[in-house]
Amino acid sequence: MNLFAGHLPGIAATEVEWRRLDFSAWGEGVTVDVPLLSEAQGLALAARVRENARSYLKTLPVAEIVATIDKAIARLLDREDPLRRQAEALLPVVTGYDAETVRLGLSGYLRTFRAPQLQRFLAEDFANPGVLDGFQPAMKGGFARAHGPELLLHIWAGNVPGLSLWSLISGLLVKAGSIGKVASAEPLLAGWFAQILAEIDPRLGECLAIVWWKGGDAASEQVWLNQADTIVAYGGNDALAAIRERAPITARFLTHGHKIGFGVVSVAALDARKAGALARLCAHDAMRYEQQGCYSPQMLFVERGGKVSPREFAEMVSRELAAFARRHPRRALSVAEAAGVAAWRSGEEMRAFDNEGRLVLGDAEDGWSVVQVDAAEPLAPSGLNRTLKIVAVESLDAVVPLVAPFRSFLQSAAIAASPEELFRIAALLGEAGVTRIAAFGTMTAPEAGWHNDGRFNLLDLVTITEIEHSAELAAEAFAPYVD
Amino acid sequence: MKFRDRTILVTGASRGIGAAIARAFAAEGGLVFVNYRRSEAEAQAVVEACRAAGGQALAIAADVTVPAEVEAMLARIGEEAGRLDAVVNNAFAPYVFDPEARARFWETPWSAYQAQVDGALKATYNVCQAALQLMRRRGRGAIVNIATDLVARPSIPYHDYTTAKAALVGFSRNLAAELGPLGIRVNCVAPGLVWPTGASRRTPEDVKEALIAQTPLGRIATAEDVTGPVLFLASDWSGFVTGQTLHVDGGLVMG
Repeated sequence: MNLFAGHLPGIAATEVEWRRLDFSAWGEGVTVDVPLLSEAQGLALAARVRENARSYLKTLPVAEIVATIDKAIARLLDREDPLRRQAEALLPVVTGYDAETVRLGLSGYLRTFRAPQLQRFLAEDFANPGVLDGFQPAMKGGFARAHGPELLLHIWAGNVPGLSLWSLISGLLVKAGSIGKVASAEPLLAGWFAQILAEIDPRLGECLAIVWWKGGDAASEQVWLNQADTIVAYGGNDALAAIRERAPITARFLTHGHKIGFGVVSVAALDARKAGALARLCAHDAMRYEQQGCYSPQMLFVERGGKVSPREFAEMVSRELAAFARRHPRRALSVAEAAGVAAWRSGEEMRAFDNEGRLVLGDAEDGWSVVQVDAAEPLAPSGLNRTLKIVAVESLDAVVPLVAPFRSFLQSAAIAASPEELFRIAALLGEAGVTRIAAFGTMTAPEAGWHNDGRFNLLDLVTITEIEHSAELAAEAFAPYVD
Repeated sequence: MKFRDRTILVTGASRGIGAAIARAFAAEGGLVFVNYRRSEAEAQAVVEACRAAGGQALAIAADVTVPAEVEAMLARIGEEAGRLDAVVNNAFAPYVFDPEARARFWETPWSAYQAQVDGALKATYNVCQAALQLMRRRGRGAIVNIATDLVARPSIPYHDYTTAKAALVGFSRNLAAELGPLGIRVNCVAPGLVWPTGASRRTPEDVKEALIAQTPLGRIATAEDVTGPVLFLASDWSGFVTGQTLHVDGGLVMG
């Protein structure tokens, strides 16, 4: 089966050069043609999107944009919709994630973009979302209005299907013309979303474009970097650094780089009844998206002294990972990924060989690995793809110095503890740089309106124009009705 | 290769659990008759998979609720293979397991019960009657009937379906008593919720999660989970076992 990716308003498919990407998984194959635009086409497309956004998108009330997005999301949530069916059928082949992970992940994720959630999203960043539509009275006096970028460039990563929708929708809400660059690893969903938007509101569909260039192709990238006034980029830190170097100094550059998630389990959660259910949730978070998300846990810190010991808890998590391996089989690993898992596992096995306080659970051929360690160890990446290290700690406070040295890698942490402990540890972890505290079981599904990497998703995109009180007063003097 | 030179009939084998059972027999070297009613292309795909797994297979059409079609099917098996070592009665009347839209008792007409009784019990009756000749001739054979753990534990009361399967369990015990002296064993395999299959695709996540939470082995059955117990009951390894129901549900039902 062959598909075309991208969304190129004003450009006919026949005018464009296409590159073919091959995907295969679960015994099926699919090819996706991605557009490779010339410099002239790129410049023309950027100008067109910028102009369409200026003359149309920026004139729409934000409530109308919310309503249109809501309709588009409703289609993608409808399991009978042809595009939704296509997504369920093809994304497992393209991403390698099992069909059920894709289906459940998509529904859970898309639900966070329905109208009520988008309103919450707006309210998180703007005390009065009306500032996106016109000047609103400011608390300090005067009036203020928020303007989104004229042209917002998104450079997406392909680690998690649908990631692109997050920033694409953010861009729409602040009325920015958007150019989105899809990742070769998942080039489809953003284009489908754009296509649905265009079917619902054709003029809105001309205010965004979905393009592709090969990751690291500096020449192609440069064309787009020069056009955008704001750039949102996802990826590894090296790739982001390279882009930042080439981005114009005048452009606002927002990055979402590499992160290491972790979990903290208090003795309060480690009794004979609660521990089993919790182990299942921990395993779920490590299983979902094969730990490819920035929010995925790679390490658990488990407090000693509960009815269930850290070692017993590690056994329970292992058992749950084994159960998930049947229900949601691990995706086929690339050679490099398999080597990463094997290197991590054999490194741990070597260290376990002459150390009684270290246990490697599961077999090398299992689709998961758990290492349990008795002595405190600092936060470190796991081998990914369902590999988890479970470290025993004397107290929850002991976790803080183990993660604090890695501030730039901190983002999500799950905590299972009493309310009092939760707030105390959250304060300490927040100081150390953690920006999101979640419950186990939800690590890979951030709530609607979350502040990704602790930043304001919408506020970071806009500039505020203020009419100072003095200008308002001065204008009074020039009014025709002045006495 | 536990089933080399053995002939097995699996009814309703074009998809789901039946297809998995057919492939498993083939992987053990058996000659598998893949019975189907209408899904010829799917049955043919199962045949291909059986051959790829190392066994022999033939697709054979018959509506198992129609005696004449069943007799013709068994006659053809007799001609083609000359023997029948095991029968797996897996076919059942079309049924959608939808806990939210299921018919409650006061919404369930007798015709719904009748349809399920025909699909589970009458079909098995037809196949057993017709197969008996081939098995009696050699004084050996194994019949495995697919029931459900819902008989023992109606987690969700699918009245018509489960009642028919309960009748099938009673039928199997009587048949075991009757055919034991002839060297033919009759047992049931009672899976829990098997997922994913066409019939169970409407089972919501929270129903699955609730079942998993109460299941000692901590997950939902797959079609492949059912195959091992079926092969066991069809093989000599269970030579002194008859009239039993083996639950395959991760320990949800015990005893």
